[in-house]
Parts: sequence; structure tokens; C-alpha cells
Amino acid sequence: MTTNAVSLKDVSLIFGGQDTEHVLAVDTINLEIPQGQFVAIVGPSGCGKTTILNMLSGLIKPTVGSVQRHGQEVQGPSRDIGYMLARSALSPWRTARKNVELGLQIHGVGKSERKERAEELLELLHLEGFANAFPSQLSQGMRQRVAIARTLAIDPDLWLMDEPFGALDAQTRLVVQAEFVSLWEKSKESTVIFVTHDLEEAVLLADRVLVMTARPGRIKSDNLIDLPRPRVIDELRFDEKFKAAEHKIWRELRDEII
Amino acid sequence: MKSSNNDPADNTVGVENSETEKRFDLTTLPTETSAQKLIRRIDLPVQLTRIAILAFILWIWQSRKIFSGIKVFGVEILPEIIPLFQGVPTEAWDYVTQVWDDSLFWQDFWVTLQEALLGFLYGSLSGFIVGMLLGRFKRAQKVFSPFLIFTNAVPKIALAPILILWYGVDIGSKVALATIIVFFIVQIPVMAAVSGVDPDLDTVATSMGATQMQKFKLVVIPGILGPLFGALRLASIYAILSVVFGEFLASKRGLGQRLLYQINNFGMGAAIALMSLLAILALIFNAGIGFMERKFLRWQDDTTRGNVVSL
Repeated sequence: MTTNAVSLKDVSLIFGGQDTEHVLAVDTINLEIPQGQFVAIVGPSGCGKTTILNMLSGLIKPTVGSVQRHGQEVQGPSRDIGYMLARSALSPWRTARKNVELGLQIHGVGKSERKERAEELLELLHLEGFANAFPSQLSQGMRQRVAIARTLAIDPDLWLMDEPFGALDAQTRLVVQAEFVSLWEKSKESTVIFVTHDLEEAVLLADRVLVMTARPGRIKSDNLIDLPRPRVIDELRFDEKFKAAEHKIWRELRDEII
Repeated sequence: MKSSNNDPADNTVGVENSETEKRFDLTTLPTETSAQKLIRRIDLPVQLTRIAILAFILWIWQSRKIFSGIKVFGVEILPEIIPLFQGVPTEAWDYVTQVWDDSLFWQDFWVTLQEALLGFLYGSLSGFIVGMLLGRFKRAQKVFSPFLIFTNAVPKIALAPILILWYGVDIGSKVALATIIVFFIVQIPVMAAVSGVDPDLDTVATSMGATQMQKFKLVVIPGILGPLFGALRLASIYAILSVVFGEFLASKRGLGQRLLYQINNFGMGAAIALMSLLAILALIFNAGIGFMERKFLRWQDDTTRGNVVSL
């Protein structure tokens, strides 16, 4: 039997204590994700979506339960995880290329190799002309693409994406989503966990959409999205099968929001 | 070209797509020659106004008009000063030409420079390190902050006589005074700036498995350079101020010591020359820091960098 890329067993997390009241952020989550699956998690704000990513990335530990990757308990940050935050969080003093190199520099990769890898990724994300620009000189869409490049530069096995395109305008978002999904489709067998509040985005991109309840976060439903790959994101939006899938999940999500 | 179909989304109506379409040609814009650029940079009206103001100040000072009893609402704001206590620019200039070839003067200059540089170096280095560690490790900050707040509240100039007893009348006591004063000027803003570094940058580095040392190097230090340079500019001026004060109290050599001697002997022209020299020294310090700042903070806009000296 092969072990799953990610598995959560009876995971609960409690915030606060001491001076503040205890808050149950996520409640008894059980989840198995096989290698190479693209999973989107949708749910109302504050339902613990980001908390799940933080536990998987090793930034925080669950209060009870077990978080495992490839059958191994997660002990702390790991070098084969790429974690992208909602805000691009680029270092303003680093050029686009140097920002992409950050993870490689932390991992002790040599200068010339770093540069080569960063340039390769910037080209994939259509930013080759902006390698030496500082973040303040880039548009928001470009900054977000630099952040994607930084996340993927370390060649992670697990991609954790926390509402990565939430701040982009509708058109830019479509372009960046399409770039992202094609990067993933080209990558062999990388697992993606993509947190979003945007159901359309979740259904467009993912193989599987998990709907979470309002706090305390529980998994309400687990839906496989049976749409062919490679996906043409901008056209897929008008596809009847897509619309039906989105509508079905929307009914689940609506009860949690309203 | 008008399209004849009835597609409601057809948007070509009214758009002329001929090859003779008129467009703005950027190459027709006049280009600036290097000589024109230089003239624009120098900005002659500004320079001339500056020179005129300086000349006016020197003239009014030289002619001793400044002391002639200006009255505001019938109250004399400047008291009558006897000519001996006035000192004019030509006297100051005479002093400069007189000491220029005097090796004893340059020894004094070197003593003061050394005191200020060492005090600046020790104070800013220790302030930087302590500020960074306490900003980063909140529990340590909790432990030490009452001590630091109290020490900072002590009027540090009042420590000068004690420091002279402890470190002697040579440069040691002046370096110690400057170190203490500079320490707090740097430590407090650095500590505050560390807390202000974007926590997302820290999260990103942590999630990539960065060690604490790597985070200092890649996130914290670059993140606080702006406030650090601001503090260093201020510290450089205070370093000179404190060593001059230290020399006033007790010293064998130094520009402050010379200054006090001149004032005690009514050498007002010499005193003005020495004070101007100390000011120039502070400006050179400042320009050096400004140079480093421009080098390290290339990513910031020119407008967001503080410019104490802009010539």
C-alpha cells in the first residue's frame, strides 16, 4: 500500500488560552491526499483554512491529532514544501530575481545555479524582462507571479497556496491562474493544496474541492471535479459541466456563509 | 472599415484601421544634451540665492550690525555686547590661516576625530546589536526594558564628570561618554524597527526552513536599514557633541579643549572658526553615512530617504 502525500488524522487546533478565551479553530479533521492531486479548500472567512496550511508547513503544531506527509509526522518546516501567502510578501530590497532566489539561498544553493533557476522560472511566468526590477516597480499581478516563482524555485513536492490570487483584479487573475495551472500540469506529480474563498477558482483549478464549515472548521463535503486536463481556464468558465459542478458545491457552501 | 454583420459583440464599428493613422512620434521630442542636463542639475537660481544669503549673513556679522539692539514690541532681544566678545568672520579666517601649518593644531584635530569616531563606532555597534536582539526576542525585551528605560532617563551629560574619574582625562572618558549617548540613539529606533519588519517575510523565510541566523541576515537586517541609517545620522552629530562636552570638562588635548581655551581668553574669532570646523566634521560624518545609505537603500525612492545634507 502506498502512503498518501498528506494525511491528517483527527486533527484539532485550539488557539488562545491563558489570558484569552480558548478558540477551537479546526475540529477533528480527517483527510487523505494522494500524491499529485490538486485539492482546493473553500469555506467562509475564519474557518481555519489557513490554519490547516500552517500545520502542514510545520509552522504550527496541532493541539491533538496527527499531521503526516508520506507517512512521516510533520515536525517542523521542510525544504520540499513551497508555501505561498495571500500577500506576495516579497522583500522590497531584493530584485525580482533575488526574490525568486530566496529559498535557494536559504538552502545553500550556489550563486550561479540560483541565478539560472530563477531566470528559468521568471521566463516561465513571462517576467524575463523584469528580473532586475524591484517589487515597488512591478504591478500587483507581476508581484504575485514573482511570489509564485519564489514558491516553486525550490522545486517543492507539496505546494501550499493560501488565497494566492485574492488580491488580483479579475482579468489579471485569469491570466495568472492559467499560468499557475499549466505550471502544475507540467510538473510531474506535485501535490497542491489551494485555499481560496472563490468557489469558481476552486472548481476551475482543482481535481477535488473540500468545503469547510464556519468556525470551528470541519470538512463538510469532499467533491471530485471531473473536468479534463489540460484545462483552458478562460474558456472552461463557460462550460456547462463546469457550471453544474460549481452550482452543486455552491449549495453546500451557501449554508455556511449565509 | 465598417463591418456588415449583426454580431452584438462586434466592436470594430467606428475604428479606422488604415495605415495612414496618425500616431504620436516619440522621436520628435527634443533630447537633452549633457550640458543642458548639468545646468538643470546645478539649478543656478537656487545656488545664486544660497550664495547671496551666505554673503548677507557674513556682511551683517562682519559689520557687527547683528548686535545693534533689535527691538521686538519694545523689548530688546539681543543685549548690548562689548566688541571684545563679538568675534567677526575675518578674525575666524585669520585663526584658520594661522593654525593651518601648526602641527599641534592637527594633533588636537586628530584627538577629537578619534574620540568621536571610536565613540560612534562602539555606541552604534552595541546599540545595533542590543536593539536587534531585544527587538527579536520579546521575552528578553521584557526582562531588560525597565533597566534600559531607567538608564536612558539618566541625563547622560551628568555622567561626564564620573566618566572622567573612571577613565581619566585622556580620550578614554570622551569615548565612553560618546558611546553611552550614541548607544541609546541607535538602540531604541533599531528595537522598534525590528518589530516593524513585515511578519509575512519572516513567515516565508521560516516556511523555507531558514535558521534564526539566516533570518537575521535575509529579513531583519535588510528590513531595518532605513531607520538604522536615520539613527546613525543623528548619532554621528551627537558623537561629536559629546566628545566636545567631555573635553570642556577636563582634557589635555582636542578641539573642544582648544575651543574652551579660546573662549576663556576672549578669542572669539578663533572660537567661531573652531565651532565651524566641528560643524564641518559633523557634515563629513553625515555625508559618509549618506553615501552608505544610497548604496544599501538603492531600492528605495530618493524621496523616502532622509537627506540631512544635500548640496
